[in-house]
This record gives sequence, C-alpha cells and structure tokens, in this order.
Amino acid sequence: MSDVITETLDDYIKTQVLEAWKGPKTVPEQEYFTSGHRTCQGCESALVMKLMAKAAGPRTIILGSTGCMYVANTTYLSTPWSVPWMHTQLGSSGSAATGTAAGLRALMRKGKMEKERINVIAFCGDGGGADMGLSAISAALQHTEYNLLILMYDNESYANTDIQVSGSSPYGANSTFSPPGKERRIMHRRWKKNTAPMLAAGHPECKYVATVCMSYAVEAMNAVRKALSIGGPTFIHSLDPCPKGWDYDPMFSHELGELAVETGIWPLYEIEEGKIKMYGKSKRIVNGQMKRKPVQDYLLRQGRFAHFIDEDIEYFQAKTDEMWEKWLIPGVLPFSAEA
Amino acid sequence: MSTGSVEVVYRGIFQKTLAKNICRGVVFAAKKEGKIGTAFGRYSDSPERNGIPAKQFAVVSDTHDELQEHLARYEPDNNDVTIACDDALCKGVESWAWYGLQPINKLLKKGGTLLVTSFQSPNKLINFIHRKGEPYNLALVRAAASFSGLWVYKDDHTDARLLGALAKVAPHIVGIDAICEVIKEQWKDDLKVASARKTYEATETIPVSADQGNEEVPFEFEKPGWKTMEEGLVIRGISAEQQKVEGWEGGYVPTRNPTFKKFSTRTMRPVINFDTCIKCTLCWLQCPDSCFDITPDGLYDANMEACCGCGVCEAVCPVEDCVTMVNEEAFDDNASQWEMWVKDKKGYETWMTEKISDKPPRSHGFHHVGQYAEETADEST
Repeated sequence: MSDVITETLDDYIKTQVLEAWKGPKTVPEQEYFTSGHRTCQGCESALVMKLMAKAAGPRTIILGSTGCMYVANTTYLSTPWSVPWMHTQLGSSGSAATGTAAGLRALMRKGKMEKERINVIAFCGDGGGADMGLSAISAALQHTEYNLLILMYDNESYANTDIQVSGSSPYGANSTFSPPGKERRIMHRRWKKNTAPMLAAGHPECKYVATVCMSYAVEAMNAVRKALSIGGPTFIHSLDPCPKGWDYDPMFSHELGELAVETGIWPLYEIEEGKIKMYGKSKRIVNGQMKRKPVQDYLLRQGRFAHFIDEDIEYFQAKTDEMWEKWLIPGVLPFSAEA
Repeated sequence: MSTGSVEVVYRGIFQKTLAKNICRGVVFAAKKEGKIGTAFGRYSDSPERNGIPAKQFAVVSDTHDELQEHLARYEPDNNDVTIACDDALCKGVESWAWYGLQPINKLLKKGGTLLVTSFQSPNKLINFIHRKGEPYNLALVRAAASFSGLWVYKDDHTDARLLGALAKVAPHIVGIDAICEVIKEQWKDDLKVASARKTYEATETIPVSADQGNEEVPFEFEKPGWKTMEEGLVIRGISAEQQKVEGWEGGYVPTRNPTFKKFSTRTMRPVINFDTCIKCTLCWLQCPDSCFDITPDGLYDANMEACCGCGVCEAVCPVEDCVTMVNEEAFDDNASQWEMWVKDKKGYETWMTEKISDKPPRSHGFHHVGQYAEETADEST
C-alpha cells in the first residue's frame, strides 16, 4: 500500500510529449484503424476512430463501450483495428480506462512489463458517455494518478440500435423515440446536454477537456495528442454528423460538421489546466471576427428536422443566441453572474 | 397447397421503408386471396447501416402449417422472386453480417425471377450478375434506384410499381387485383393504383440461361471452424505495416481488413483526375474508410476494395474537377485508376471523360425541408 502512495507517476510511466502536427501534410501515413469496417457510408464516427488512433500512435490500447463503433468494427470475428482493442460494457468506458491504466502500472511496478508509456484511450458514444457512463467517467476523471483519455463520439442518438433519443440529441430531432405526430410536432423537448463543460467544471483537477469535430481533422488530432501528453485523466467530446440518424446524403458529413461550428451550435474549445481557449472558427466568433451563420443553414439540411416550422427554427436560433450572448463563458458555461 | 417467397434486397436505411412497403403489400394482398403470409427483415441486417445491402422477405402460404414450416430457417432460400431495389446490387451483395460477396441471384430458385429497378439494358445487367448455373428470368422496372431518407419517405411510386411487376412475374403468389386493392386501402391514392397496374402491363421477362452472366468467382475467404477459433473472443488485429505492392514502392498502401470489403456498398465511386490533383491530402485524410492509397508520386488513388462510395472525397476536394462521383454501373471492374493513368495518360483522359459524363442523380437522402414535396410535384406534372 505504502509504496503505491510514495511512488510518483513518472517512476512507472514516463511522461511524453506528442508534438502538435502543423498541417495535413505532416500527418503520418500509418493507419491503426484501417479499412474494412461495417459502418455506414460517410460515417464520421469511423473517421474519429481512424484519426484518434493515428494521433495516438502504435503504443496504444483502445477500449470501446457498446455502440456503433463497437458493433460495426469488431463483429463476426472481423476487424479494422491494428492496435489492441477491447470491448467494455455500455456504461463502463471510465472504469475500463482506469482499470487498464492501473493494471499496466501494476505490471510495470512488479517488473512483469517493461516500463514504457502506453496510451490508454476509452471511447464511448453519447449514449454510453453522456447518459449511462457519466458516473464512471466522473470517477475516472478524479483519479489523477492515471494517464488516460476518454473520447466521446457524439452522433446525437443511440444510432446503433436504430436512433433512439439520448441526452445528447438536439431539441426537436426526429428519432425512433420522438416521431413527430399530427397533434404534437415536437416530441423531444430537452436541450442537448452540455457534457464537456460539465465534466471540466466538475473535476477541477482534470487537466484537459476539449471539444472537437472531425471536419477540422488536424485540430482534432492535436487535441488527442495534447490529451495524451498532459498527464492524468482527460476527456474529449467529438460531434459526429451521422447520415443514418440525421438523415442526409452521406457526402455532406464533412460539410455538416463545419456548419455545426459555423452556426455556433457546436463550439470548439480546449480547457487546459484550468484555462479555457476557444479555437478555430469558434474563436473567431467569440472575438467578433466572424458572424455566426443562421441555424437554419444547418437544420434544414437534415431529415431529422424536416418537420420543423418557422417557429421551431426561431426557438432553436434563440437558444443558440443565448449560448453566445448570455452565458458566463460564451458557448461553454450556461449561467451568468447576478447583476 | 403451396408456399411462395419474395426476397427484397435493398440499401440499408435509405430504402428500408421502400422494402417494408413491398413486403407488407405482398402479405396484405395474399390475405385478400385467402392465403396467409408474413413479412420480416433479416435479423442480422439490423441495425442497418446506410448504403449497406440488407434484406427483407415476404412468405405466403396456403395454410398456417406450411408457413410455419417455411419460416423455420435463417433466411428463405429458393425464392420465387428476388427484387433488387438498386441495380448496382447486381454486382453482388455483401451484407454487413455476411462473409464474402453473395451473387444477387443466389437465393433465387431455378426458374424464378430477378426483378430489378434499372435504366440499364438487360444485357449490361446480365454481364454484372454472377452466373447461376440454372436458368432463371430477369425482369426490369424502368426506374432509378429510389433512395429515400429514413425519416422522410419519398413516395415516387417505386413500391407500387414493384408490386405491380411482382404480380406479373409471380401471379401464383399475388394477383394484380389484390395488389391494387391493397394499394388503394393503404395509401388511398388512385394514382398509385394506376402506377401499379401500368407497370403490371408493361413488365416483360427475359429468360437467362444457366451459363449466362459474370464468370468471376465472388470474393470469399476461409471462415474459422469452432476448433480453429481462439480461446475467449479474440480477433487477430490488422498489421500496422503497409502492404508491399509491386509498382507502388515509395507510396503507401495500408494493410486492410481481409474479411470485409466494400465492393457491394457503393452506388457510385470517385473518378480521380490525377493531372489536376494538388496533393492537398484532404481526400485521404477525411475518408472514413481509409480507401485512398498514396501513390509513389504522392497522388491519392481510391482503392475499390475499401471505397463505400460516400462522396466525402468529392465534397472536401478543393479542386473543381479533380474528384467526380460516377454511377457504379459505369464500371466493369475494380482496377486501380492510377495504374491506368501511369500506363497511358491520353487513354486515361478519354476513359475519364467518358466516365464522368455518367453522374448519378443526387436524389440520395435529404437535402432541405420540402424537397420531396417539390420533387414529387415536378414528377406528377
């Protein structure tokens, strides 16, 4: 017992610095999540897996909780993974990550494994992360003595089991649980859960929380690299356009990611050692260098909002305006100081 | 005393409602004729992935016992009719829960009918369809593949037309009068009834002989038996090393999953203009399927083993005419475009110019609110 407490993290697991990549041309060729997965056409979550693995490199263990990225990537004894991967239950990405990091450390301490830095990444969908796995993620983010990254790929529904509402589904979206009817048009009335700031605010010792979108691939990969360098548990929240659940032509996956950011619906930021930093177009929006696009540019391209009438779009716009104009930290923290 | 079955092969999600309408229509119509039937999706196709081939079935029997007997199997084979809702499926079907490529006519019984929605000539389709070894019939419904999104159903009458054609090619399963009655009941739309009857009258079948069709052996691989599976649920990972491919030294071809290919997932594929490529890397970086191989000269070549035809590469390419999505039916093979270009640049240009004239209609999925209402209004005028 005593030796665990007196030893520092560095005694067993060397810290590392994964330098940020300067642009797409400096990204290495190696794939650790390669072709041959059973995902949809234009699946942005598959792109998250590919780029996350690329950013982390070969000395990485990946854990995946139940969801599309489990079912589509490992069923029927067939996989595109080339780094070690293990399935964990829907709500346990946090506990699996802590357990794996602790296990590696114990093996290194007992001399059964060479001491080296091995990245531990657990991914979960929005159902597995923002709903079911929230408590386990919270626990993982408190255990500051383990290096791990939890990456939540958020396609705003339980898309794997055919698109049920999750805590991350946007207001009004059509889903298996919220089909618009003749009497009631809007069947899903909850506003999207603000997961990343909740975790950052609730775990002051967690050194790194970020939001990403794979339409900005290099920035997203650099967020993964920073999360794996900074030490301790970290969390990244990715917004993934989903042609299946959002109902659009798969070729628009990239464009919808951009529109989510440009309309201000999906702000991009990093919370690094207690400092918040907006980046990319979100930074330009906050600095007043760029005007947010109207949310209808984003909403009207998706079948899940096809039942929206002007009043619904106006409501969505007003709520989004509030995020940027009324919140204590625009786009991030949803309350303001008393006047 | 008899049982008949219909297999509907369609594109997951985007044609799910279409397939459901066809199978339900068959069962309802059979009931009108005093028979009993059931419609169901193949369990292993669920959850569906958009674009990936999936199947639904309608089984119709004279008696309850016969129906039960026929259902006691994983998926009905010896089908009287196989309906392909997209003619690109004639190249083969690799459902997401399947091993290897399955010919579109594999579960069709001898003398059965393959019913396809297509604007292609019958001969062109027969060249795609794998040789069956038994005679069967081919019937075409002249229509583009009807891709509707999940939440919004584009009612372009494809379901009614296929039901009408089905009554023509398999009257022993359902007759046209019952079909029309059901369409009227379900949709309360005389125009749809007229569509079904018109297609019924226009549909003709072409006999396909046992030795006609694509001679290629469909892609398959060795499956592990229970004695060769490893303890626990272990799957061997893919090598992180690149493949060694002759002529590609200095480039980068990633090792790919050997047991799942995307040959049959595409409805279109990218054609690359290597002369205008500025090597920005975006197609390669943004491809969710890692389908782009890096060529020795630093260009990017879409590998057809891995491309699922999503079109993201065309969308992200900053050059106007560098990546163009083209109808999958325009291609007879899966050869490397870059190798073709290296061998004969002039010839490639001619080939490319011809191919990119065959652009698919982008009715695929949803674009904006009111789109389908507008489109169907245009069609009916």
